[in-house]
Amino acid sequence: MSQGTFGALRGQLLDAAAAFADAPSALADILSGMVDDVDRALGEELEIFPVCHHSPASALAMVRRLREKQPKVVYLELCEDLRPLLDELRNCRLPVALQAFASDLDGFPPGSGPLSVVAPITEASAEYQAIAYALDTPGVELVLVDRSADHVFQWLPGERPAEPQAAPADDDTAGHDEDAALHGDAVGVEIGDLRPRFAELEAHLLHHGKVRHWSEWWDQYVEQPLAGADYDTYRQVMVLIGSLFRRLRPAEDDRSSRDEDRERYMWTRMREHLATSGADPADCLYVCGAYHAASRVEQFGLSSDVPYDISPRTGTRWLYGLIPSSQSAIEAQFGLASGSVSIAAATWSKALTRWGVTSFRLDGQKGAAKRAKRAPLPAPAPQGPVTDRLSGFLANPPTLDGLDEAELLGWCVDIVRLARRNGYLASTADAIAVFETSILLAGMRNRARPTPYDFQDAAVTCIEKDVVPGRRDVRRLCEILLGGDRIGQVGYEALPPLARDVYDRLEPLGVDLEKRTIQRALLDLAANPELGPCSHLLWMLRRLLPEDAVRPIMGERRLGERSIQESWDLAIGRHQRSIIELGYEGVTVEQVLEQRLRRTVWAPKATAAVALAAVEDSILYLGSRRFTEELGARAVELLSAERTVDDAPDVLRRIRRLLAHYRATEPALPEWCEAFVTAGYAHYCTLLPTAFVDEETGVRQVAAMLGFLFSMESLALALGCDRAQLELAVQQSHPAAPAKVALLWAARFQLGLMPLAELREQCDELLANPLVIPAFPLYLSGFVQALEPAPALTPFVVELMSKAFGRLPDTVLLPWLPKLITTLRDQAPELVPVLVREAGRTFPAALPAVDTWVPPWSARPRSGPDAAPGRAPALAAGPVADLLAGNPAACDAVAALLGCDGEWRSTVQAGDGPGHGEVGALLALHPETADAVAVLFDHRTVAASR
Amino acid sequence: MTDDLLRAPAEVKYAEELDWLESVDDGPKPFSWRLSPRMVRLFVLGSERSDGLDREISQKWFGDRSFVERSIVTLASDRGLLLIGDPGTGKSWLAELLSAAICRTSTLVVQGTAGTTEDHIKYSWNVSMVIARGQSRESMIPSPIMTAMEQGMIGRFEELTRATSDVQDALISILSEKYVSIPELDDDSIVFAQPGFSIIATANSRDRGVNDLSSALKRRFNFVRIPVVTNRRSEAEIVRFRTTELLRRHQIELDLPPTLLDILLQSFADLRAAAASATSDDEKLESALSTAEQIGVLEDAILHSHFFGDRTLRAETLAGSLVGSLARRSPEDLAILNKYWHGVIEPRSKQDGGPWQDFLEGGRQAIATLS
Repeated sequence: MSQGTFGALRGQLLDAAAAFADAPSALADILSGMVDDVDRALGEELEIFPVCHHSPASALAMVRRLREKQPKVVYLELCEDLRPLLDELRNCRLPVALQAFASDLDGFPPGSGPLSVVAPITEASAEYQAIAYALDTPGVELVLVDRSADHVFQWLPGERPAEPQAAPADDDTAGHDEDAALHGDAVGVEIGDLRPRFAELEAHLLHHGKVRHWSEWWDQYVEQPLAGADYDTYRQVMVLIGSLFRRLRPAEDDRSSRDEDRERYMWTRMREHLATSGADPADCLYVCGAYHAASRVEQFGLSSDVPYDISPRTGTRWLYGLIPSSQSAIEAQFGLASGSVSIAAATWSKALTRWGVTSFRLDGQKGAAKRAKRAPLPAPAPQGPVTDRLSGFLANPPTLDGLDEAELLGWCVDIVRLARRNGYLASTADAIAVFETSILLAGMRNRARPTPYDFQDAAVTCIEKDVVPGRRDVRRLCEILLGGDRIGQVGYEALPPLARDVYDRLEPLGVDLEKRTIQRALLDLAANPELGPCSHLLWMLRRLLPEDAVRPIMGERRLGERSIQESWDLAIGRHQRSIIELGYEGVTVEQVLEQRLRRTVWAPKATAAVALAAVEDSILYLGSRRFTEELGARAVELLSAERTVDDAPDVLRRIRRLLAHYRATEPALPEWCEAFVTAGYAHYCTLLPTAFVDEETGVRQVAAMLGFLFSMESLALALGCDRAQLELAVQQSHPAAPAKVALLWAARFQLGLMPLAELREQCDELLANPLVIPAFPLYLSGFVQALEPAPALTPFVVELMSKAFGRLPDTVLLPWLPKLITTLRDQAPELVPVLVREAGRTFPAALPAVDTWVPPWSARPRSGPDAAPGRAPALAAGPVADLLAGNPAACDAVAALLGCDGEWRSTVQAGDGPGHGEVGALLALHPETADAVAVLFDHRTVAASR
Repeated sequence: MTDDLLRAPAEVKYAEELDWLESVDDGPKPFSWRLSPRMVRLFVLGSERSDGLDREISQKWFGDRSFVERSIVTLASDRGLLLIGDPGTGKSWLAELLSAAICRTSTLVVQGTAGTTEDHIKYSWNVSMVIARGQSRESMIPSPIMTAMEQGMIGRFEELTRATSDVQDALISILSEKYVSIPELDDDSIVFAQPGFSIIATANSRDRGVNDLSSALKRRFNFVRIPVVTNRRSEAEIVRFRTTELLRRHQIELDLPPTLLDILLQSFADLRAAAASATSDDEKLESALSTAEQIGVLEDAILHSHFFGDRTLRAETLAGSLVGSLARRSPEDLAILNKYWHGVIEPRSKQDGGPWQDFLEGGRQAIATLS
């Protein structure tokens, strides 16, 4: 155990090699092969810089090497088509992710989109150092050489897997909330992925390394010893580890062949670049994962001239952008232990101060304190020949950091404070205990100083009791303490045009949209009409963004409504990714909305109701007449093509709303509306007989059809439809289901084909027939539905319902009641007000009146003059009748035109003179009013004559 | 000596191993510990090649390494250790192993029950001796905890939460002042704890509500929660390890077919998943479905087939034992098992065949007999 830290690493690697090699000779092969790999990678003419993701040691070595060598060209293992995005990094607060996004697929199986690739960039990474150096140093070229985002998906086998890195999820990653979901369902790519390729090897290393997860293993066995190592040692050790993992990978593995393809790709690209640019390989640096540094592909090395055909990209159009990322999102995406990226970030900033190294930063990078002006880089130092540092390094103990007591004490005090704030009964005694336990744990785990992981364990041991009092447990508190999660933000300049446009247009609100908290915006549109466009935009965003990105608290946008005050909860900062992804669809929000509406309307599954909804949206949000008409025309098309009437209620509701809107705002109905009404009239007339008998079609649908036909009738007739069509359709309908029979009766009543008395008689017969009584509620249901198409029937429905409640036995009535209630609740806006109003008119208002109350239908004489069928209704005498009788020519002409023979009947009864009996009697009894009016008129006449 | 005992304590059973570890241990030892913390861990978790030892030390407790490390470190600090977890997760076994490794005595145990009194924790008197000679240190009967204090050893308190609150609180002064005073004596009236003294308590998280710990006592203990093992591989290892031990104890020659072990593990995993998704207590088995329970089922099946069967373990017998040990409440548990048998095992036996079919048959019979 006295061999020191690298001795331990060697022991670990040899053990692993021995455990997974098949035979003793295989072990020897592996070991010598590893040395060969190191030799080969280091002997390569083009300098290879092996890195590991989220490794501060890599970043540190990178800074040192860049300062020393100052290469002119940096090749980076990153999708080559992401290059233009890198310049925008300086406008962002890291971590952010480079994203390639495609929704118009060409060459990929349909339905697999949208495709999205993300490559997160953190500040504590070697790649960021390389990027910052290359972009901010004049004369340095940065070349991305890895396969394009398109190839990422081309090379994915078969079905697209959810996560390309099926890393074992760590048990405690689950608790993290929305920040972990920042990348959506994108496929992650990463520079320097270095992790055992099969679970058994990782389990073996973790078990024998006596650590819990991969990040801890890496930290203890590689990261810490490498932090102070010189460049040669760093390189050799990294390649050694890469080589080991490479040699101990499963034989048939899709990923391995993909990795080899990537290596071929990268080397081919680099050779191409060197040939075209004529750069000196000695001035170049190739930054790639340690795994790729130990590559055995035949294209490896500049000296190789084995050709490799790069497959062409598909025709898919890729869009690029930056999206905000977070440390927890990175951990979730790549299966790292929760908190490991945060700890790496903390280690990195500590290492910078400890080793006195100045890191590279892009000019204008947000999110950190301003640095003094950068000193120019010193002259590059020439590189000596590569010497074998590995053997010495593996044999000798490196100098380790001593215990950083002040830091640990700080942690202990802070965790206790944090725990108290989160409801734990922690005290100073606990701080002491945590301190002591950390040191004991580190000692037991063979570490010279407690790592953050030891500290975390100690804190959990000493502070966590049987229950977690608050929202966060001690483990989570430790993560927060050790840096917490950092959430990146994409700066304004790096946003796509749409997002920038949104930010610009919302500026009048005076709200800081970059904040990640929910912000309240108040819009008094009456007092500040200039805020109108903001409100308009917010409504559009409401339509396009996820539910809680923008949320109206007060105010509504519906046809015919306009709010004078609005209040909004804005969480745009938190949903930056959604806005950025919206930017992939278009340049402005309007354009995106237009495209989406168009897409829904032309989708194969679109229905007339969907199209009408789109029309409504277009009127509400876009206000473009031409576009609305296009959508409307599509709605007409869809309606005529429909073979079912499932959507009829929806169609009816929407077209009514739209007609009301147009009547209120426009002088004439738009053409498509007229076309819709006429097409609908014909369409529903045609389908009516089938719908009446079809068992699949519900009563509600038929009622909605009738509603459409009756309520649009006048308009349709005005537009040239023929009423006979409807009458025929009703006559052809022969429903069997009781509810539909009731509907048919209602329709016939509405058409004047069935007088009320007959209807009442029919129903009374039903009620009197004991065999039909069990089905009576079904009839009633039909009548309730008929309220919509035949509102004139309302008093009768109330009457029928009262009779049913009065006469039906409980066994029939009670099972039906819930159904009635649910029907009424579902269709409350249409049915309930009508019914309640009518009931209010019919029934007495106060309790005492009930005793003496006689229902109007019982009080009405059974054989009144109105009820007698077959007799023409009595003509009301009056001035109009007098006028018509006096000048019959016009009426006769109309009658002749219509082909009716009529005869004039006398309206004057018993020679009462020009008045009416009742009115005359009333006036004779109370002449005062008439006299007063007469006097008034008299005065007027006098005044006028003067 | 181990042969004469039905169950030898860990320090007796592994005496030879402990002696050897002590002889090679050159690490720093806290207080009067017999082994250094690293060696304690090695004793509990077994050795590996990378430890560079000349002989192999077998693994005795299966579970997360960090639990053991945290427990050992707690004992080296001045707080007591409270192991908390579901029944059958190996809390007591871990406590026994730790005290055996640290002080070679794991028998200083107080069992917490509703009837435990303060005398069991502190001391009581030998009445006849008090009558004969009066109150003195000779006529006093020290409790196991007090003995541990006097000798600088580890005292164990099993099922701490089963004891009433006032009895529990007697531990507060022992854990903070580290002495017990005996007011009945005029001189020599205080027993001070020697270095190395600590307490390992265990508590059952299922009955936590019985007598909740006071916060004063809580803060004198470090809690280490031992979860139910759900990892298939380590569970298989535990079951195999414990069963071999049992077989050796009963001197039974019988081999355990791996397919049957798989069936056992799979059915426990299924039942655990069912219990996790149940919404009320009536929908889940009363049993905690711990690893210890599995061992119990297997042991039962083995004994049954050894004494009443043809000395080979069969799937039917296993199914019978499983139903027999899990069906505690009738009809709730039986209904759940019945549902499980017909909803899960039946389709599986059709699909996979093999021993699952016998398992299905055996279970059906057992359920029919019980209901």
